[in-house]
Parts: sequence; structure tokens; C-alpha cells
Amino acid sequence: MVRSRRSRWATAVAAIAALAVVASACGGSSNKSSNNNSNGGPATTAGIHDDSAGGGTPVRGGSLVYGLESDTSGGFCLYKAQLAIAGIMVSRTIYDTLTMPGADGKIHPYLAQSVTGSANNTIWTIKLRPNIKFHDGSPLTAEVVKENLDHYRKDNPLFSFVFAEVKSVDVVDNLTVKVTTTVPWSAFPWFLWSSSRLGIMAKAQMDSPNCNTDLIGTGPFEYVSWKFGDKFVAKRNPNYWYHDPTTGAQLPYLDQITFIPQPDASKRTSSLEAGDFTAIHTSDALQIKNHIRPDVASGTLKDTESDQWPELGYILLNVTKPPFNNLAARQALAYGIDRDTYNKLRNGGILQNASGPFGPGVPGELADSGLPTFNVAKAKQAAATYKTQTGKDLTFTLDYEADDPSTTQDAILVQQMLQQNLGIKVQINGVADQSTLINVAIGRQFDATLWRNNPGADPDTQYVWWHCGNSGPINSNPNAAAACDNPVNFNGFNDPVINADLDKARSMPLGTARTQVYEAINRRFASELWNLWSQYTLWAVAYKPTVHGILGPALPDGAAAFTGLPTGHPVDGIWCTGGKC
Amino acid sequence: MRTVARRVLQLLVVLIVVTFFTSILTALLPGDPVTTIAPFSSAQDRANIREQLHLNQNVVERYGEWLKNFLSGDMGREYAGTGIRGTDIYGRIKDTLPRSLLLMLYVQILTLLIAVPLGVYSAYRAGGRFDDIANGFAFFLLSIPIYVAATLMLLFLSVEHHLLPSEGWVAFTTSPVEHFKHLVMPVLAITLGQIAIYARLLRTDMVATLQEDFILMAKSKGISERRVLWRHALRPSSLTLLTVAGLNVGTLIGGALIVEVIFHLNGLGFAIYDAINRRQYIALQDYIAVIAIVYVLVNFAVDGLYHVLDPRIRGARIG
Repeated sequence: MVRSRRSRWATAVAAIAALAVVASACGGSSNKSSNNNSNGGPATTAGIHDDSAGGGTPVRGGSLVYGLESDTSGGFCLYKAQLAIAGIMVSRTIYDTLTMPGADGKIHPYLAQSVTGSANNTIWTIKLRPNIKFHDGSPLTAEVVKENLDHYRKDNPLFSFVFAEVKSVDVVDNLTVKVTTTVPWSAFPWFLWSSSRLGIMAKAQMDSPNCNTDLIGTGPFEYVSWKFGDKFVAKRNPNYWYHDPTTGAQLPYLDQITFIPQPDASKRTSSLEAGDFTAIHTSDALQIKNHIRPDVASGTLKDTESDQWPELGYILLNVTKPPFNNLAARQALAYGIDRDTYNKLRNGGILQNASGPFGPGVPGELADSGLPTFNVAKAKQAAATYKTQTGKDLTFTLDYEADDPSTTQDAILVQQMLQQNLGIKVQINGVADQSTLINVAIGRQFDATLWRNNPGADPDTQYVWWHCGNSGPINSNPNAAAACDNPVNFNGFNDPVINADLDKARSMPLGTARTQVYEAINRRFASELWNLWSQYTLWAVAYKPTVHGILGPALPDGAAAFTGLPTGHPVDGIWCTGGKC
Repeated sequence: MRTVARRVLQLLVVLIVVTFFTSILTALLPGDPVTTIAPFSSAQDRANIREQLHLNQNVVERYGEWLKNFLSGDMGREYAGTGIRGTDIYGRIKDTLPRSLLLMLYVQILTLLIAVPLGVYSAYRAGGRFDDIANGFAFFLLSIPIYVAATLMLLFLSVEHHLLPSEGWVAFTTSPVEHFKHLVMPVLAITLGQIAIYARLLRTDMVATLQEDFILMAKSKGISERRVLWRHALRPSSLTLLTVAGLNVGTLIGGALIVEVIFHLNGLGFAIYDAINRRQYIALQDYIAVIAIVYVLVNFAVDGLYHVLDPRIRGARIG
């Protein structure tokens, strides 16, 4: 199957995806399996490798220069912003979120002192920490938090969809906010994190006509300057509320952090190697394998890698029209693409084949969901079935983003595999750019397209991408009529079983029974093949050997820091040897 | 005065033609700009964006709207979404244009410093071994694309040997040393290909000039070879070079765009690249208009230099 590597559309989709999607899972499995290989990185299967842990007693001082994969054109008025991972990194520098996930796979209070649900999870009480001030000196109050939440609910198209089941947000007292939902909503605290997109802004920022550039948060760093395309500079917040629970030292450790956008992954790596950047992030598997890991092995660099809570690469199939409204056609592809070979050729073999939509760490993950594996005989049989049912040979057009050379190679490989293995004629179609590809997807004017989305989070966060408000027949029936009315369910599948399970799981209490529902959804995807999953993303943060504390300190309630990297990482715990980066 | 008026008129014509065609070309780009700006926005938001960017109008009306604003000094802001104030375009030009101009100036200076002696000496030794070697080497440099030269230098000088910074801009006033260190590779990457063009042009003109009677006269007077070459032959041989140097500003702008992206210099070339990617039509037309103005002004200055270099032109105009 296919993965559209690091293409901008994918990043944007994933970004906005997670915007709505929020948070990662509760009650997940342990994800601390450190598993080094000879190249200094994790093995090809699930794992977290962190060179930045330890290093002695943290020291204050230093200026970090961090290479990001893009800049954020719309700025950082968060309830209007569309943040990809690069924007999230900046956002985490200036703002705090009310909650934060931990390494235990559970959501924990952060800027909030507690987030407590009523017995049936329809009323959520958010108690704020006292004596916290924004960078402009104004206090963090329930009124400000309510105003933030109301903006998110009403002034952001995707968040308004995400929070559609929030009935009201009310101030109880100066430090208490009450959120009432229309349905029992057990994972609601995850949505207060929203992959670090739900930062809390000061009233002065929200009221400013320059809300996107007058950044005022409670976060570890204060805004200094930003020139789009050039750099974003932030200085240490001397009054930051959080202290390192291990050392008791006030955070952050760094004096300054500078973010520099460099979209070219290879250039980002070379600038780190040249010493112009102190740290970078990347999800380019070949860069990780061919450059970063050898540098780590030689001792010139260190890195933190995580394939926990990953994004997902796949072929998005338009199931609202032929040929992929036919299950046999989807089966032919699922059996006919050799994912191992694809992974080896296009990802250097370092990614993990996806067993379903839920990656490592996410509740609902299954080692074997029943997803078809490469089998030429079965693929040919399915293609023959398709011809018998429809009277036509199976042929289709595969779209890809043409301005990304890597994605072009992905598409060509899939085309060759299907033609050589099955004799299926595949037309590949380079779509000009990210926006056009998204436009094509929203309009469902495609047969199949290379895609990446669905970053790891609590599975309830996928609701927005998969659920359909209109009930309809299952599209695997060739005569099906009603496609999904949800425009961001891009391939238009309308599966009543999945719809019902998503509704059911949302209102169930966290725990095994709920997880089992998501496992059922996972199996359902494997049998209906609404999408063809390829590999889970591997994210790496590479840095000079003097850098420590990439994953951040433990959370205020003592939980260890989160280990997923698809939506960035905290910056308050980063420190440099001798206070020099 | 009449010359100035004619030049201003030319400037306006060039400005209108270039920006109008830019407007047509951007309108022909595939994809919907509204989707780029706000991919998941509501129907109402999309309608608002179309309204604010005049996307409901045809390309001529939209262009007229832009031209009216531009000529009144209002360059507008980049569009960042409903209710969000985007980057001030004038401010961005103010930041980025000096970077690109400085880059091009350094390239011109370095190119001339290398190409002129090379061209003069090749002409002096026309047909000899030095001429052959210089010729071959110049064409070898010409055959290296800017992005290849930039990437190779980056790998060798920056990544492997840590001799020069791999990216970024430092203002001269902040640190002259760092300023030049950051610009060595970008300037060289563009310069390499220009040397061959300038040197070969100058060589050809010099060879012809050296066969003129006045050169023979100078030599017969016992004037040294060096003086003949540099004082008597170079000046009349420089007109073509000067013309090409002026016209070549267009090529340099293209080169600047590439190296500004590779070396993250954030000049006007990078701003254009970014505006195309993000479908910032208004900003793109502003940037192109500024470049057109610069281009015409540079060639205006080149025309002025003709008069300095060749008194015959001055006399012809006066006559």
C-alpha cells in the first residue's frame, strides 16, 4: 500500500485532522519498549528511542534553534488557526492546554488542576490552578477559559463540528468552568488537549485585531518576534507556573528558542549536521534511516524516535462510485499490493505495516485485524469476481500530489505492482498540489488517492472523519445509493455498523468494553476495506548531543511524559549541557 | 527631460503588461485558491473569501482593482483567513527586497571581477592555449545548474567541513563578517554560470576592438600592451557586456529565487515562491510589479552608463 511521504497536503490534512480530532488514547498499552538497533534508532517495530533522557542535572540557559518542516501562514490566533505539526510546536511554546496526555496513555490535568466528569459524563467540571498569569500579567480565570472554549466552539469550522455535542460552557466561580454535553462523553478531557491545539489565550490576544500575531499565553516562553518564512523567536517566561517535579527548578531551562521553517527534509537534516540548527523534527523515513541514524551511531547527533500514537498512510478509495463501490475491487487491491516490498523500497523498511487505523498505543489496536495480506492468487480471483459482477475489467486512476517527487515514486511503484502482479491497468494522475488534492477529495472526484491522516489519539477523535449523520446502505453493495453526508469523510463510506459503534463508544465509560468496540471497528475496516492501510508514521527529533529533555518533564500529577511525536513535543523541559546549545 | 518622460512611460507599459500577464497566469493555475487558504471552511467563509479577494470578478476586473490600489500605494495584506490580519505586503517587500538586491549586486560585482580579466586576457591570447582552457572552463561552469552548484557547495563547505553556514541571513550592520559568510555560497552559486557569459561576450568584442586602427596606432606609439588592453581596448568593448549585464538582471532574479529557497535567505525571490505556493494573488502581483520596476530602472541606469562609456553615443544624442 501507499504512503504519501511527508507531503504538504498530508501534513495539512493531518494537522487539521488532529485539530478536530484531538487527543490520544486512554488506557493504552505501555509504550516504553526501548529497542535500539545497530544504527542507534529503534527497531522496525513499535518503540520509543530517546537519547535525550538523563544527561545529569538540568542546567538553565542556552538558545535552541529548531528546524521546523513549515511555517504557519495564518498565525496563531488558535481558534482560527490551522496548525500542522510545525505550528503546534510553536503553539506549545507560547500556550498551555488544560489537559495533557501521559506515557500511561491517559489524559491528565495540566493548566487545569482537575477535570471531573459527572456520573454519566454529561457534565464536566474544570477546576483551574490558582495564581497563574498570562505573559501580559493578567490572571488565568474561568471567564477567560470560557471565552476561549466558546471561540473554539463557534469560530472554528472543524472545532465547531468536534464540539457539536457541547451544549453549554458556564462559569461556576473564578476558577471553575462547567461544560455540559448533549450525550455522555467519556473522552471529553482529551478534547481539551486536542493534540495541543486547544491552547488557552489571554483575553487581550482574543480581543486584539492582530490576534494572530499578538501572542499572549501562559506557556513556558514569551513571544518576541515572528517574520513569516524567516523565523519565530520566543524568550524564557521568568514567571512560568510549572516546576520540574524531579529537580524542583522552575521551568523552562532554555533562555530562548528560535524556530526556523525549512520544508525540505534533506536540507533540514543537513543544516543540523552543519551546526546551524540545534534540533529538527522529521517523518521522512529515508532521511531517518540514511542520515540521522548513521549520525547517531557515529556520535555526531542524537535523536528521539517514536512510532507510538502514529499517523497513518493509506490509499483513500472513493467508495461512492465504481470501481471501488464494489468490495471485490477493493479486495483485489488489498491482496494485490505487496506492502513489505513497498515498505522496503519506499521507506527503507523501517516503518511498521499498519494492521488497522489504530496504531501502537491506541485503544482498538489489533495485531491481526483480519486485514488481507499480499496474495496474488486471491487478488486475481477478486479481480475476476469484479468482472463477473460488473462485466468490466478492473481499472482505475490513482491520484497523487505531483509537486512532491517522493509521492510520485510512491504512485509509480503501486502502479507497477498492480500491473505486474495482476495485470490491472492503473492510470496515475499527478494532481498539481496539496490544495487541489484536498479539493478533489472533498468533491469525491477521484477513484483512489495517496493519503495520510488520522494521527494517533483516543479513538473517539476519529469520529469526525468516519461518522455519517445520514443513515444509508453499506457501500459495499454495488447498488448502494446514499453516500456519507460528512464532507470530511472523504471517501464517502457510510457504514451503519461503524456509525453505530462510534456513537456507542463515545458514550461508554473508558475501559475494556469500550476498547472492544473500537476493536470491532478495526475489524470492520479490515473486512469492508474502506481504505487500504499502508504503514504507520515514524517521527524523529534529531539534535546535537548537548541537548536533553525532548519529551519533557513528568506531568503535574506525576505521570510520565507522553511518548507520541506526531503532534510535536513539549519544550519546557529541554536543556543543554553547560547551558550552551 | 524628454528621455526621462519616455522612460517613465516605458516603465508604466512594462509594469502593466507584466502584471497583467501575471494576473492571467495565476488565474490559470490549477486548484481553487479558497481551498488553499481555508480547506475546511464553511460555505459562508468561502463566499466571504471570494468576495474579499474579488475572485467572483473576471480576471480583467480583478486586475483593474489591484492596479488601482497599487498605483495609489496600497499594496494590501496577504490573505490569512476570515477575520485574520495577514502579513503586510509592503512590510514584507521592505524586508525582502534589499536582501535580493544586495545578493544580485554581489553577484554582478563578483562576476565582473572574474569575467573581465578573463575575457580581456582571452582576447589578448585569442586562439592560444589559455584561451582554449578558459573557454572550456567557462563553459563547464555554465553547464552547472545553480541548484547543483548550491547543493554541492552546501554539502562540501557546510555539512562536511563546517566552513560556512548552511542557511540564513545576517544583516551587514549586525555583523559584516557573518553577513559575508552567509552569502559566500549563494553568491558563488549564481556567479559561476554568469562568468562564462560575460567573459565570452567581452572576449569577442575585445578581439574585434584589438584589430581596430586606433589600437594599431596606440601600439605604434609604444604604449604598453597592458595600457592598450585596459585603457584603450576595454572601454569600447564593454558596451555589449553592459547591455547584457542590464538584461541579465532577469536571469539573476530567477537565480536569486533558487538560492533564496535553498539557503533560506527570505528575499523577494523566496516571497514570490511562497506566494505562488499559497495562492497569494495580490501579494504575487505586488512582488512581480516591484521586480518589473527594478528591472526597468536598472536598464534605465545602464542606458545612462552608455553615455559615460562611449562619447560617440553622447554626441549622437546631442546632435
